[in-house]
Amino acid sequence: MPISIVVPQLGESVVEGTVAKWLKAEGDRVRKEEPLVEIQTDKINVEIPSPFEGTLSKILVPEGTTVPVGTEIAQLAGAGEAESVSAAARPAAAASASASATTATAAPAPPVPAVPATPARTEAGNGAHTDLAAAGEARNLSLAVRKIMREESVSLTEVTSISGSGVAGRVTRDDLLEYLQSRTGRPAVAGAPARAPAPAAPLPAFMAARIIEGAGGPREEMVPFTKVRRLIAENMIRSKHTAAHTHCFDEAEMGAIVALRKEWGPRLEAQGVKLTFMPFFIKAAVLALKEFPWVNGEVKGDALVVKKYYNVGLAVGREEKGLIVPNIKDCDRKNLVQLAAEVNDIAARARADRLRPDDIQGGTFSITNAGVFGAINSSPVINYPEVAILGVHKIVERPVVRDGQIVARPMMNASIGFDHRVIDGELAVKFLRRVCELLERPELLWFYA
Amino acid sequence: MSHLSVCHLGPTSYREGLVLQEGLARARADGRTGDWLLYPDHPPVLTVGRNPSPGNVVADAATLERQGIEVFEVARGGDITWHGPGQLVGYLVCDLDRQGRDLHRFLRSIEEGLIQALAALGIAARRDPGRTGVWSEGEKIASIGIAVRRWVSYHGFALNVAPDLKFFDLIHPCGLRGIHMTSVARQLGDRAPSLPEVRERVAGAMARVMEYPGWAWGEAAEVRGLALLETPVGPARNTNAA
Repeated sequence: MPISIVVPQLGESVVEGTVAKWLKAEGDRVRKEEPLVEIQTDKINVEIPSPFEGTLSKILVPEGTTVPVGTEIAQLAGAGEAESVSAAARPAAAASASASATTATAAPAPPVPAVPATPARTEAGNGAHTDLAAAGEARNLSLAVRKIMREESVSLTEVTSISGSGVAGRVTRDDLLEYLQSRTGRPAVAGAPARAPAPAAPLPAFMAARIIEGAGGPREEMVPFTKVRRLIAENMIRSKHTAAHTHCFDEAEMGAIVALRKEWGPRLEAQGVKLTFMPFFIKAAVLALKEFPWVNGEVKGDALVVKKYYNVGLAVGREEKGLIVPNIKDCDRKNLVQLAAEVNDIAARARADRLRPDDIQGGTFSITNAGVFGAINSSPVINYPEVAILGVHKIVERPVVRDGQIVARPMMNASIGFDHRVIDGELAVKFLRRVCELLERPELLWFYA
Repeated sequence: MSHLSVCHLGPTSYREGLVLQEGLARARADGRTGDWLLYPDHPPVLTVGRNPSPGNVVADAATLERQGIEVFEVARGGDITWHGPGQLVGYLVCDLDRQGRDLHRFLRSIEEGLIQALAALGIAARRDPGRTGVWSEGEKIASIGIAVRRWVSYHGFALNVAPDLKFFDLIHPCGLRGIHMTSVARQLGDRAPSLPEVRERVAGAMARVMEYPGWAWGEAAEVRGLALLETPVGPARNTNAA
């Protein structure tokens, strides 16, 4: 017996509600208490949770329709009935591809958001493109399936190779679990049943272009500077010609931060905040800047202006769109979670061309993470007129000597580019050492912060 | 019955505001905290509720981009509105059980709280049946939009204290044509109160109208902790004390 979902009683004077948004599609599994639909009345939007665990078998009222309180708007098949329902629905769904379906099932299914483009651990540049391209395939995967994919590191390409038992061949949670069971102990690719050959990972646009040209077209190509590229070029030359660039290098053992991130990353992710390493770098840099204030300065004429506020710039690579360095304001007054949220926000806006003028002005110090593209060391150029830039890199398991023994440790090289006109080597080295020390022993934050 | 906690969050991006509200609403639904009224200071932003009308944005994308104004689609009731400096935005994270799970009663209480606070400041404001919000001399002075999850409210109201009203020219506020926005500053001129004073008045009036035994200021750090952490972090027990 299907269970009816009705517009609930929302108050004495509330007689009707509008179906504002279906949060689940027909055929989706829902847990008890999981939000099912948003109902709107007057200026209030109410999320209606599912009363039971089961499968949303039928949506009876499409979005935008206003119905009286008590109206049945959907049907839910109980957990036990889920299989038979989806089996019964399959031929119907197939038929609707050619002929239009009966009015009862004509409600449009809301688009399911695609899988987050980059799995947390992807560090190489290419991975992101493959996942983005394949994200289209993921539109039909339920939240439960995507959760398992994340937890078990199943790629989208891999999932498309599974034969689905759901509506229109859709891969259900059970399909995936069954597949994972058969995959255990075998390498992921070999274990995939070869029903449909996995599509070759498409190349990033600019790479594809280059290969085609090489294959017979002209041997050279003229790419005019964009406005952004011209600005980058001017800034780089001004910086290199004005500041007396010098670099120093150090390294940090990252075990403690890696563990912190491993523990807190999923918790913050559940709250909508993705935790990268950058907030830790910012935190360590700001504390070191407080100790060595000259590094947080700017040359003006014959003077060094030392700044008592800490607006930390982040170099954001945007492929052919060009590098940009927006900054996060007043980092000394923000905790790690706030910094994480702002890092995500500002990087996303930088990539989407949605930065505000204020975002790229007023920086006092910058950090560049060449590690996201795989670099293990770099000599970064100062974001002039600042006087120093911190370079952070890929964290790599490396043999190191501890207590006379060779052991493997997650290590990261750190570099500093500084303006030797105003910052002596001694200051730069001490500053960099302090940053590394704070990363190696986060408990020092108790004494510094 | 516990009091209403009130917190001035200070500068808060709209995105951060959403994360905090949703986290705090979860904490409220789980019974980890009481009811809250949060005051964020948002940079200029346009937000669109679940009931948008076509053509509600007057300005073109380029204008918005130039002015650095982001547009957010949010799961609250209502159409489009503007938030930004000079406005008192109040998020109400309240367990609606104590409002008898009556959504309309909750809306009317919010309106009543704002009307009483404005009266104390010397502004005669009133309701306009059928048009949720608070009006003064035929112009709109406060907008309301609420979301409810697990019978806990979030989002809330926006009272124009002294914003640059030109921003409302970018949109048809609430999707209503020919509507004029006003503000406390416009109504009172030189006698206009400061934002901190309005924050206190509104908090007091809300607590009174919604029949809380009282209200008290809470710390932004506490809100962030409740919203972002699953297990409350409290001071560690001092085991050496004995």
